[in-house]
Amino acid sequence: MSDDSEEFRSGSEDEEMSDYGASDADMDVEDDDDDYGFAGAEEVSTVPKVPYKVLPKEDLNKQREKALREVMDVLGIDEDTAMRVLRKYKWDSSRVQEEWFSKYDQVRESLGLVDEPGPSGRAACEAEERCFICFDSFPVRDMRSAACRHYFCKDCWRGYITQALSSGPACLDLRCPSTECKQKACVPCALVMELASGEEQSKYSTYMVRSFVEDNSSMCWCTGKNCENAIQCLVDRGPDEAMDVICSCSATFCFNCKEEAHRPVSCKTVKTWLTKNSAESENMNWILANTKPCPKCSRPIEKNQGCMHMTCSQCRFEFCWLCQGDWKEHGERTGGFYACNRFETAKKKGEYDDESRRRENAKASLERYMHYFERFDAHSKAREKARLDASKVSKDWLEQLADITKTPTSQLKFINEAWNQIVECRRMLKWTYAYGYYAFEDADRNSEVARHKGFFEFLQGDAERSLERLHEAAEKDLGAHVTKARNQADGGFDADAFQTFRKNLIGLTDVTAGFFDKLVKQLEKGFSSMEADYAGQVDDGAGPSGVNEGGEQAAGAAGGPAATGTTGHKGRRSKKARGVDEDVVLLGEQGFWTCNKCTYNNQDLTARRCEVCNEARAGPGGGAGNRR
Amino acid sequence: MASKRIQKELQDLQKDPPTSCSAGPAGDDLFHWQATIMGPSDSPYAGGVFFVNIMFPPDYPFKPPKVTFQTKVYHPNVNSQGSICLDILKDQWSPALTISKVLLSICSLLTDPNPDDPLVPEIAHIYKTDRRRYEETAREWTRKYAMG
Repeated sequence: MSDDSEEFRSGSEDEEMSDYGASDADMDVEDDDDDYGFAGAEEVSTVPKVPYKVLPKEDLNKQREKALREVMDVLGIDEDTAMRVLRKYKWDSSRVQEEWFSKYDQVRESLGLVDEPGPSGRAACEAEERCFICFDSFPVRDMRSAACRHYFCKDCWRGYITQALSSGPACLDLRCPSTECKQKACVPCALVMELASGEEQSKYSTYMVRSFVEDNSSMCWCTGKNCENAIQCLVDRGPDEAMDVICSCSATFCFNCKEEAHRPVSCKTVKTWLTKNSAESENMNWILANTKPCPKCSRPIEKNQGCMHMTCSQCRFEFCWLCQGDWKEHGERTGGFYACNRFETAKKKGEYDDESRRRENAKASLERYMHYFERFDAHSKAREKARLDASKVSKDWLEQLADITKTPTSQLKFINEAWNQIVECRRMLKWTYAYGYYAFEDADRNSEVARHKGFFEFLQGDAERSLERLHEAAEKDLGAHVTKARNQADGGFDADAFQTFRKNLIGLTDVTAGFFDKLVKQLEKGFSSMEADYAGQVDDGAGPSGVNEGGEQAAGAAGGPAATGTTGHKGRRSKKARGVDEDVVLLGEQGFWTCNKCTYNNQDLTARRCEVCNEARAGPGGGAGNRR
Repeated sequence: MASKRIQKELQDLQKDPPTSCSAGPAGDDLFHWQATIMGPSDSPYAGGVFFVNIMFPPDYPFKPPKVTFQTKVYHPNVNSQGSICLDILKDQWSPALTISKVLLSICSLLTDPNPDDPLVPEIAHIYKTDRRRYEETAREWTRKYAMG
């Protein structure tokens, strides 16, 4: 992962922030090499707006204090009270202010905030009072109370607090233990801290910090192992809207459902898919597909060998596997002991009963599921492997390569980037299979869905092929170079071959990113508008200069951030209106336009003439040739 | 702490016994009590004597005592094992509550069942739809199990 993806930086584009998924950040290939330096375009591609922020412990505390401070200042209340209101309203400070000022008494009452009665006189302090927990009497100065003045002795308070702390974060809302306390006064934080043991104090503080994340709808903990970072969502998310997040610990997950990151697939699909994978429901399907119930006792029976003459192991009923009739009725006249004509004739006559049909269906559906699951699983495993390989490469090989090739490791960054791309793409690819399983269930019955399926599989196939090429290059070719270089450690390093490999790998990384971007966008957009879009694209391609093909190849071969530039954008609007502005937006996806004469990639998207050769820019069709 | 407090409660109970119930250690174990509750006169449990088992946890009074009926009771909030569904015995427990207050709460639960938070939904349903039948059955059970 590139270092900068963990940081939120405000870019200059005024696109909707929610359009920038976390995976974009990861996919961005930072290329600081001159050969590929489309400096301008690069800026566009490497400064994505990320809709979230990774907060390490210190930052988290700072944020929390800031939120507290703000409410304390505006409402003019102490920290303890501010904590309580903020917790009540899920750390939404604008809501806190609204409710506090509009329903002051109600809010205070619900929080158990009680106005402190006037200071009790000296005499009262000397007086003895009975503690209603242990029923002993103590001088009032040795007792403690919440603002409601229900006094209990320190030991009993301690017991009460210990008990509350051991039952979880609910202890933050501890109330006066007195059954007489009608206001249910809250127990001040200071009192808890005064009486709790050291260990309990830190537990209480931890709960207070945790509350900032756990009670806060715009925050969540990183799901990574041993990672203490929190993730803060910086945009308004719809309920159940998926958002991929990459923590600085390299854990990737969905902010909404906390499952592994699964863009472009929705949380709902992921949940159904995962349940399906783990649930017994598939066993059920297997039983349906591979067994028949005993005609007498209905126990499922699997026929694992032998002839059609079955004997139920439970009820000893003998029957024919094909027609499920009593075996006694079988004999020479039904086609011999080992075949069943009744079945054949019934099948011909169409009397093939419902149950058989259901079994067929179940079998077909099981096969369909297996198809998707096998691929899902394969990519999942390939991803795990790629993750391990990626860390191995960046840990061990990169240094060695730097030694051999005598280039600084920063120049070898492209290898890391290729690996990151592989890991990320494997992840996306695997989820597209879950998507495919649910999205095209009706493909057999609905020709429109079938068309969508065809298009989806086309995109998926493109992406998959490209990824396989990239993976192979990163794995095999790189390995070959390292081995070769090791064997010729005396300086016989083939610099040219390595340069070729380097160019190839960078190109492949970008092409793959492009394919995946296309796939992801189409999936997120859905396929309903596919026809219209597709028509538009064909139209564009037929533009005057007709360099569509060439442009695409050029972008692929030249590599550079061109392809990744598109990942930062999501400007695929309806292409029906094709004004100049619209064209600029489309070009903006790429970050440059290519001159038709000298092929220079102009970064000024609004320029009418090429910066280098001053050739007039071709019409929208020509410019669009570069679009992917 | 726990035994001291239980001792005190016992003294208070002996000094000032609540009406319609009594309680005390079942044997030598101070943490195991037995209590009796007289069926409230304005309820179908009138005339019955109900035995109640009380177990004190070691961290009493910061944790609630475990209270169960030993006598069978036909009641929407008491199941066949004698478990009682009562908020103050669970999340609404406060260390300032005592056995005497708990027993009084159980008495008022007998008079006023809480069918909206039932432990035995069937009885709650009958209580809500056919009050006469509920009262008859409750009286029947009281006669059968809580008298004599």
